[in-house]
Amino acid sequence: METLKTKIDSPAAVLLTNIVLAVLIFFILMSDWILSIGLMILFIAGALILDQNGIINLIFDAYNHYKHIAILSGIVLVIMLPFSLTGNNYISHIATVAVCYAIACLGLNFQMGSTDMTNFAPAAFMGLGAYSVAVCTTKFGLSPWTGMILGILITGVFGYLIGLPTLKTKGYYLSLVTMAIQIAFTQLINTIDYLGGSDGISGVTKYSIFGFKLYKKYTVFGVKLAPQIPFLVVCIFFLIICAYIAIRVYHSKQGLALNAIAQDEIAANCLGINIANQKLFAFVIGSIFCGLAGSLLVGLEGYVGPDSYDFSKSLMLICMVILGGMDNSIGIIVGAFILTIISEKLRDFADYQQLVYSLVLVIMLIIRPNGIIPRRVRKYFNTFRSSTVAKTIEAEKAQAIDFNK
Amino acid sequence: MEIFSSLFVSAILLGCTYTLVALGYCLFFGVLDVVVFCSGDIAIFGAFSVISAYILTYDAGIFQSLPLPVGTLIVLAIAAVLCVGLSLATYFVSVKPFSKSSALMPLLSTIALGTAIKELLGLAYKPIMSNLIRAVTRIDTPINVTSGRNPQAMPKLLNAGGSTTERDFIIMGLTLLILFVLFLFLNKTKMGLSMQAISQNKELAYMSGINVKKTINTTFIIGGIVLTIAGFLLGSYQSVIRFDTGSLYGTKGFSAAVVGGLKSIWGAVIGGMLLGFVEVFVSGLIPGGTQYQNIIAFIVVIIFIVFKPEGILGEKTIEKV
Repeated sequence: METLKTKIDSPAAVLLTNIVLAVLIFFILMSDWILSIGLMILFIAGALILDQNGIINLIFDAYNHYKHIAILSGIVLVIMLPFSLTGNNYISHIATVAVCYAIACLGLNFQMGSTDMTNFAPAAFMGLGAYSVAVCTTKFGLSPWTGMILGILITGVFGYLIGLPTLKTKGYYLSLVTMAIQIAFTQLINTIDYLGGSDGISGVTKYSIFGFKLYKKYTVFGVKLAPQIPFLVVCIFFLIICAYIAIRVYHSKQGLALNAIAQDEIAANCLGINIANQKLFAFVIGSIFCGLAGSLLVGLEGYVGPDSYDFSKSLMLICMVILGGMDNSIGIIVGAFILTIISEKLRDFADYQQLVYSLVLVIMLIIRPNGIIPRRVRKYFNTFRSSTVAKTIEAEKAQAIDFNK
Repeated sequence: MEIFSSLFVSAILLGCTYTLVALGYCLFFGVLDVVVFCSGDIAIFGAFSVISAYILTYDAGIFQSLPLPVGTLIVLAIAAVLCVGLSLATYFVSVKPFSKSSALMPLLSTIALGTAIKELLGLAYKPIMSNLIRAVTRIDTPINVTSGRNPQAMPKLLNAGGSTTERDFIIMGLTLLILFVLFLFLNKTKMGLSMQAISQNKELAYMSGINVKKTINTTFIIGGIVLTIAGFLLGSYQSVIRFDTGSLYGTKGFSAAVVGGLKSIWGAVIGGMLLGFVEVFVSGLIPGGTQYQNIIAFIVVIIFIVFKPEGILGEKTIEKV
């Protein structure tokens, strides 16, 4: 075990893991559905086996030690990805959709994973973001970026407003309130003619930066890129920002407070945590992430309708969070990618999509309710391992063992 | 005035169907403290099994040879057996494995199971039914069965004469009968009393020698029967049934149970009637209100949960450390 530890805890191992992951993602994206799903099952099984041996923890530690190498090689591989997907429109589309869902799942995780408040309305918030972009561009002729900023503001305000009544409710009642909100949202959109009713809004303007269109075929270094690639890069940029925020929040006092509320609300209250503020924080930041994801997704698809953001979409997002692992940002991104790719690869069998989601959720909940990459145990003594406090603890431990002998 | 009275009748009818599914939620929640969210889908499965049992017995020539009430009872009995099987399967697949984990796990797994039931109804209804009909009628020609995703016509078992008044009376009467029988069962029989004991304190019930496993299984059997009748009455009231009605219907039933106060039978009645009245009167009295009936119903539910989370008849629980 010790030799394995030293072997894994090296820059070469980090580099190797990154390359293996990139190659795996490439093959999962490129191959046809049987091979792709086979590879994904292999990946899940591998992750589970590594987790049982505790090796996955070692890998995470190695990533922590050699952050710079991990980030640099990751950036190089991410830049290489678009070139390897040359001219393959459909696969670039899948990758972009997966990135958008990953952002929404990170938002949902603030409520579901960290604070243990099951929110059944993330799709409604995605829809709010998407509709604000659609209305801004098609009705007022504004830029989609304005729509995105407006969408983020609107979802933030709605997250606050919906968070207010939910402060008084808990458990099943909270679930029912959010379900009611989700169903009411879909039905309300259906009845408003200004928003296109059940037809939705099509022809939404695509994003562009200073006249540089993000949905166009570009040729870079003689390689013809798929039209979605520039937008994919922008989405990955947003995903990195969101993941950074999520990880920082998790490691901050705020994240700790959210976890404390999830464990025991009364105890958290007694420790001086302002429960109302923390819950509202989780709701607002989560809905902002969802709104951002929705406004990005509408920029890719160019169409938004009430059916794109209904209850089943919420269920799918919840399924992604549980599959990946609650309260673990990396796991959630993995979960979002796996489920998006499964559903897109099974597009030929569209009738079975819902069935696959629900069966995956039931089986996951029974076999492994913590997800593929479960939440890690927080390490409080990591930062002052060399400090006197830690040394005293070590000394006391040693004494205790002596005493037992 | 005539409009008002007809609205009143349809509100009560809709309320009856909501009440029945809310009763299912109450039974399961009372004994296990768990929300079995796929109750609506189980009820729709019950309605589908009524349809298939009717078609099969009709094709086999059994249904016509019997008087209508007897035939209806046989059809209902077959459907109830299927539905009880599904409800027990629900317990063993998606409730029992989570008896020691947090309360939201069974909620999520039953929602997922409900979606699975719904999708399986849509996908598997046609192949299974055409094979069964072929087996019963012994004809090899292809049989025209509509896909499970299409609306299915409910056989007119309650209004064979064609009048809807007769049907309305039977729906109300059946609901009252089930309420009465359930009330007697819960308060007068040993099994019903042990259900109440488990609902109050599970450990103490164990210690008093109550067979908890058997009681829970019985609860799911009774719940399956109640949900079959709920689906059958809903189908007869709407005269068509869709495979995906279950999720909305189940959410409404859950809302009714929560508004009335989970764990209380009469609360389920009050909640179901409230929802029925709100929906019918919104769609009947407000011009263009049909579009908004579900939205307003859910807004009423949200307001109730926020201001009276324990429900109309529920007891206020004070959390202690």
